Amino acid sequence: MSTSTNILDIKNIEVTYDNVILALHDVSLKVPKGKVVALLGANGAGKSTTLKAVSTMLASERGKVTKGTIEYDGNSIDKQNPSQMVGLGMVQVLEGRRCFGHLTVEENIIAGAYSRKLSKGDINQELEKIYTYFIRLKERRKSQAAFTSGGEQQMIAVARAMMAKPKMLLLDEPTMGLAPQLVAEIFNIVKELNQKEGVSILLAEQNTNVALKNSDYGYIIETGRVMLDGTAQSLLSNDQVKELYLGISKKGRKNFRDVLKEESLTKKRIN
Amino acid sequence: MVEELLFFMEVLVGGLLAGTMYSLVALGFVLIFKASATFNFSQGAMVFFSVLAFVGFMQDFNIPFVLAFILAALLMVVVGLCTERFVLRPLMNASEDTVLMATIGLGYVLEGLAQAAWGVEVRRLDLGIGDFPVPWIADNLKLFISALDITAGVVAAIMIIGLFLLFKYTKIGLGLRAVADDAGAASSIGIPLKHIMLLVWSAAGVVALVAGCMWGARAGVQFALVDLALKALPVLIIGGFSSIPGAIIGGLIIGAVEKVLEVYIGPFFGGAIEGWAPYVLAIFFLLYRPEGLFGEKIIRRV
Repeated sequence: MSTSTNILDIKNIEVTYDNVILALHDVSLKVPKGKVVALLGANGAGKSTTLKAVSTMLASERGKVTKGTIEYDGNSIDKQNPSQMVGLGMVQVLEGRRCFGHLTVEENIIAGAYSRKLSKGDINQELEKIYTYFIRLKERRKSQAAFTSGGEQQMIAVARAMMAKPKMLLLDEPTMGLAPQLVAEIFNIVKELNQKEGVSILLAEQNTNVALKNSDYGYIIETGRVMLDGTAQSLLSNDQVKELYLGISKKGRKNFRDVLKEESLTKKRIN
Repeated sequence: MVEELLFFMEVLVGGLLAGTMYSLVALGFVLIFKASATFNFSQGAMVFFSVLAFVGFMQDFNIPFVLAFILAALLMVVVGLCTERFVLRPLMNASEDTVLMATIGLGYVLEGLAQAAWGVEVRRLDLGIGDFPVPWIADNLKLFISALDITAGVVAAIMIIGLFLLFKYTKIGLGLRAVADDAGAASSIGIPLKHIMLLVWSAAGVVALVAGCMWGARAGVQFALVDLALKALPVLIIGGFSSIPGAIIGGLIIGAVEKVLEVYIGPFFGGAIEGWAPYVLAIFFLLYRPEGLFGEKIIRRV
């Protein structure tokens, strides 16, 4: 793949927090233009850190990219700050939705257009367009965001990000703590935004099955390293992925410890 | 009987109007609390600094009233700019407590700078509005109400309405409310925290200048203005730290209550209860309504 077809190209990055805590060892990944890429892994694997490295939100958490490069749209993001990244069309939807609780649903969404110079009329036009994807939010536009449900708050967070007219969205665990039906609804919206608006998407998820079914490509990271990557289809049918992340196995259920034990046995045999 | 009622009215109205002066000081706190989620201990010093500069421009440089006021307001914007650059930005990821401590330090710096530049003696500030009863009201309503109090009331009302409109209907106001709710999320959608902080601290500086003018005209421009900030604390506890209307109503309540109590209950305590009565009231609020009358309720989903 040449660089021009990739909207995001991360090469061998290492990230440390507070100059001592090594969060990412070696992560490389690519997001082709107009595609949905899933970043999978357990808690603490480094998914959020990777996304924050891309959106440059790391700095506000005393984190730093200490090795490697991140290129967005062909340019290094080295010297950028979060609001500049938003200006360049890269918007992150943070983990845990993070709505502005005391603002109304509509005010939350309008706040997303802050970085753009729009007239009142333009804003209303954009709002109507956004509401076609998030029909539920239109009904609740005057409610205070803190009093909406978890699913609605996630929709607010995504709608708010869409108001910035992003070329690329970074979604951090968009389905965390949501009922299966809502998970499906959120992913349907994400898919629709990707197809109709042409937004490239990098999403971090623990919900491996649903995430892969809605993505084109997947990366699996563990303790700050990419362990496995491939097309969503190939990962879904990969035995290791099935065993470790989907809980499906030929010989019944298996947990992570069993696999490690097996691996160490194989290693010993090799030695 | 009628005379007693008139006297009560006089005490009450006098208290309410004096309360607007507290409201003016409290306003500055609310602005900064909204954006930085911290109690700005330097607000009192900002009041002192700004009004001393204003008086200094007029008396030491013979700059006319309006121009001196504009210069002082600009100076407060510069103070806001420096505060953002040299205090807030380096502490961007620090805890709220750290920022709180920094505001205490900032207060000392401003006090010191003000005295170094303009000296330590008490200065007179003449706004051209006397601190004596308005004859027209005294004649017609038989109430003795100070012209300065009325001016303070009108000025406070104008500032409140202005700030309310700013927050509710402008883009930067929306940005400020977003930052107040969740600064991290606000920056993730491209709201530049720098600009918001700069705006808020400058606005708080200008509000401090206006409050300083009112208080300076009454009590003289002097170091004691710094301690005024402490009077704003019960106002904020009653009104709610994050509410602009709360700062106003809180100020009115404190003003009215302390004057009425002083006159009617004070003698039983040997007088001078207006110094501590507001704090007692504040304690009751802390016990039974900690978010204040208009503070943002702590909303938690269950």
